[in-house]
Amino acid sequence: MIHIEAVAKRFGSNTVLDGIDLRIAPGEVVSILGASGSGKSTLIRCINGLEKLDGGTISVDGHRVDDPKQLRLARRCCGTVFQLFNLYPHMTALQNVTLAPIEVLGVPRKQAEDDARALLASVGLLERADAYPGQLSGGQRQRVGICRALAMKPRYLLLDEVTSALDPEMTAEVLSILARLAASGTTMLFVTHEIEFARQISRRIVFLERGRLLADLPTAQFFAEDGGLAQPRIAQFLSKMTK
Amino acid sequence: MQYTDFAPHDLILLLQGLGVSIALFAATTAIGLAIGLAWAMLRYYRTPLLSPLAALLAELLKNSPVLVQLFLVFFGLPVLLETELTPVQAALITLSGNTAAFIYVIAVSAIESVGRDQLETARVFGLRRWQILRRIVAPQAAAFALGPLTGLLVNQLQVTSLISVIGVVDLTKAGAILNLRTLKPFVVWTVIGLLYYLMARLIAKACARVETRLRAHSEWKGL
Repeated sequence: MIHIEAVAKRFGSNTVLDGIDLRIAPGEVVSILGASGSGKSTLIRCINGLEKLDGGTISVDGHRVDDPKQLRLARRCCGTVFQLFNLYPHMTALQNVTLAPIEVLGVPRKQAEDDARALLASVGLLERADAYPGQLSGGQRQRVGICRALAMKPRYLLLDEVTSALDPEMTAEVLSILARLAASGTTMLFVTHEIEFARQISRRIVFLERGRLLADLPTAQFFAEDGGLAQPRIAQFLSKMTK
Repeated sequence: MQYTDFAPHDLILLLQGLGVSIALFAATTAIGLAIGLAWAMLRYYRTPLLSPLAALLAELLKNSPVLVQLFLVFFGLPVLLETELTPVQAALITLSGNTAAFIYVIAVSAIESVGRDQLETARVFGLRRWQILRRIVAPQAAAFALGPLTGLLVNQLQVTSLISVIGVVDLTKAGAILNLRTLKPFVVWTVIGLLYYLMARLIAKACARVETRLRAHSEWKGL
């Protein structure tokens, strides 16, 4: 269980997150929608322990993110995929995937490489295992990014606008992998602008607006006239995004 | 044969001088590299007190003439510590310290050119600070640093010639001795200059080879 309680985050005088309460249970796929600057990515960074909280608490399977001693355990439960991939440019695709299992989990190199090849094969990149990120397309890089996160066998997969830097064809290639992961029961927190896709795979939709949680509803209800759409801001956002 | 003619043993003097220059360059580069990198590590780990101290020391060393530093060490240090210092020891101390200061500057900027997003990613994946240093920062920073490092080393090689002033018989001092005896400055200094040139080319070539290896991942092969 990811447990987010009354989380607040400010950058100077700018309040980015304001009293966020959210729970993500194992097996759930939760999408976070909202305009740019609404605090979606900051929320992910808070769960990762990359931002210091200005209020509230976050715990992952009981490990407090805001306690430096527990942060490592909390991070061990989460795998993160980034908007701009953040691959290590001096390592091959395979090395990118095996780094953390070898260094952090102490998996023997041979086994880590076998696991990594199996993961890369599952996203159709086995023959590119020895390519450097600079030699891969954006979609291929993001697929490596997903493998890198999955290699740590995380209980929760945090996806931070993972298709925002990709063209439609590459987006489709990445989304099909995510759909498969969702179907196989992977717990995902999915920050996205892909509304139609979020609708297909999510159990719940969360809507952020200027750092406040405007809605946290089951998917069908979020898109229902008497549910999420009853809120003018959400209706306005959805009509603009789906035009 | 006249006293001013070149003799076979002049070649030995020249080779000895060359040997001294190379040895001093190699030793001060190794020591300077070790100290400069150690200072950079103090900064990477944000060691209180020691980190600002290293920064101050590097600042002082890189902003004052090497010749002044050499005089301070050779003439000043023995007075202060009431010990004796040979010219070679003074040269070793001065040039190592000076090289360390510039290595520190190069290392710090190279470390800082590794993208912040990569460091955050590694942290999120649970890597510890020294693991990030070893696997993420060091390999990329080394590639960034090699260009400036090549320039530094070629320059430090030329700077070794200053130690002839305090009586170390390096290549330049050997040249001065030969010049005084043969009274053929144009020939002598041309040969000495060419020898420095060849050494500098060798250093640059060796660095370029290492750089090519470190940049194997990058499509960008430099200009």
